Amino acid sequence: MKAVIISNSRLQGDYFEVVFTAPEIAEKAVAGQFVHIRIDERNDYILRRPFSIHSTDPEKGTVSVAYKVVGKGTLAMSKLASGYEFDVMGPLGIGFSTPADDVVPVAVAGGYGSAALYLLSRVSRQKGVLLAGARSKNDVILTDRYEKAGFDVRVATDDGSMGTKGVVTSLIPQVLEDCKGKKLLFYGCGPHPMLMALGKLLKEKGLDGELSIDHKMCCGVGACFACVIKVNDPGSADGWRYARSCSEGPVFPLDDVYLGE
Amino acid sequence: MAELSVNLGKFTMKNPVTTGSGTYGYGQEYHQLYDIAKLGAVTVKGIRMTPSHGNPTPRVAEVTGGMLNAIGLQGPGVDKFLNDEHYMPFLRTTNATVIVNIWGTTIEEYGEVAARLDAEKEGITALEINISCPNVKAGGAAFGTNIELASQVIRKVRNSTTLPLITKLSPNVTSIADFARAAEAEGSDCVSLINTLSAMAIDIETRRPKLANVMGGFSGPAVKPVAIKMVYDTYRAVKIPIIGMGGICNADDAIEFMLAGATAVAVGTANFVDPYAPLKVIDGINAYLDRHNIADVNEIIGQVRI
Repeated sequence: MKAVIISNSRLQGDYFEVVFTAPEIAEKAVAGQFVHIRIDERNDYILRRPFSIHSTDPEKGTVSVAYKVVGKGTLAMSKLASGYEFDVMGPLGIGFSTPADDVVPVAVAGGYGSAALYLLSRVSRQKGVLLAGARSKNDVILTDRYEKAGFDVRVATDDGSMGTKGVVTSLIPQVLEDCKGKKLLFYGCGPHPMLMALGKLLKEKGLDGELSIDHKMCCGVGACFACVIKVNDPGSADGWRYARSCSEGPVFPLDDVYLGE
Repeated sequence: MAELSVNLGKFTMKNPVTTGSGTYGYGQEYHQLYDIAKLGAVTVKGIRMTPSHGNPTPRVAEVTGGMLNAIGLQGPGVDKFLNDEHYMPFLRTTNATVIVNIWGTTIEEYGEVAARLDAEKEGITALEINISCPNVKAGGAAFGTNIELASQVIRKVRNSTTLPLITKLSPNVTSIADFARAAEAEGSDCVSLINTLSAMAIDIETRRPKLANVMGGFSGPAVKPVAIKMVYDTYRAVKIPIIGMGGICNADDAIEFMLAGATAVAVGTANFVDPYAPLKVIDGINAYLDRHNIADVNEIIGQVRI
């Protein structure tokens, strides 16, 4: 379907936010789902680009995507002006589940993974927690929005330039201490090694969660089998099978994610 | 509205447009968007006897004018394909004309999977023999780039089924017309071409290949002129019908293939760009025929003016 850019502005550094009209997507989207965008500014590069849905405004019919400029596609996207019309598919994929009324959602974000977890704040009855991990303070984004939504925001950076020095999972023991007696559900989104570390830690501590894991996508609808990740499969000789992150995920229950090599 | 149905020898298609195997899943994903029975045929992803993991990731890389893939024929295996609700049982609930792409790692396996599908062929219109996937070591390219082995595979499959057979040819050979002749001689009812071109891309920052499999198959709009020439060569070499493919993004591309000699065409990589591409190709062919006052699409097959 056609979308029109309302605004496309820099959040900080290499991070941008584009807001566009897409009423159907705005109405249906949940945290963890994605849109598949085709920018035909460059005809020599044809494939769509998937982006997590950061936020929506169902009344205005708009959708927001927060993105980092990492290559040709995102560079071209960062230069688009309001009024620009493009093709978008979505909302695609399986998103995060809505936390039960008595459940405190703990969003664990690596880098701009915080973009994809934000809509949890809209459906959660309890005030949630955001654990934001990043290389340095320049890569900690969108935390102010979580704070506005009432989330308890805690930051860890590799270089110690903001929050605790260390990896994001190192923040978890303190959260467990502070939330004693409460029901927690962990929601992870970030780079693959971080998610594997998070998955293993949660398993070790007997905690439950959901992880948003993907790999380089192509069709976005489950047809091409490009974006597969390993999920547990007792029926397979190896104990795992490749699942399509676009259509069977990108959000997988922790118990499904294969945490071996 | 012109006549769009085409004759592929032992079966017909209501219009000349099918899908490239591996670019359309097993039809279900796109059936959620539109009725897949509108296509001339749905060609599903390759099936062998046993389930296959396929290759490690990354499995795709974008390149100028197209993409590389090395999916490695991930698939459910023939039993699951025939019995699981996501595959053949689903396809049987649609009115789609179904072409099942088959492969194996040995000549015997090609025969076994063909026989298995033949035994439960309700809803299957034809088999497409994949002897040209560049991304699996055994099977695929090993058979498709050696005429003697290709002939043995086709012979084995021919003796295992009465279903119409399409042989999907590799472009990674000196003369594709020779392979088409061999396919015709072994009783293949059609040939389809081209499969992807063997290719590679390197990330210059990390100095690593962009695909985990190191090499992969090149597809997309950039390969179209190569494919057109191969269809043109093949049309002059054999009498059996040709299903042409390679970079078809729109009706203009499809018509070009038909003028070069293709009876039908397949939309492949373009499905990833626009899921509605095959429908747009059908509509566009019809509009072209009307614009040129041509009553029947068959009138343009092979009609390039040399």
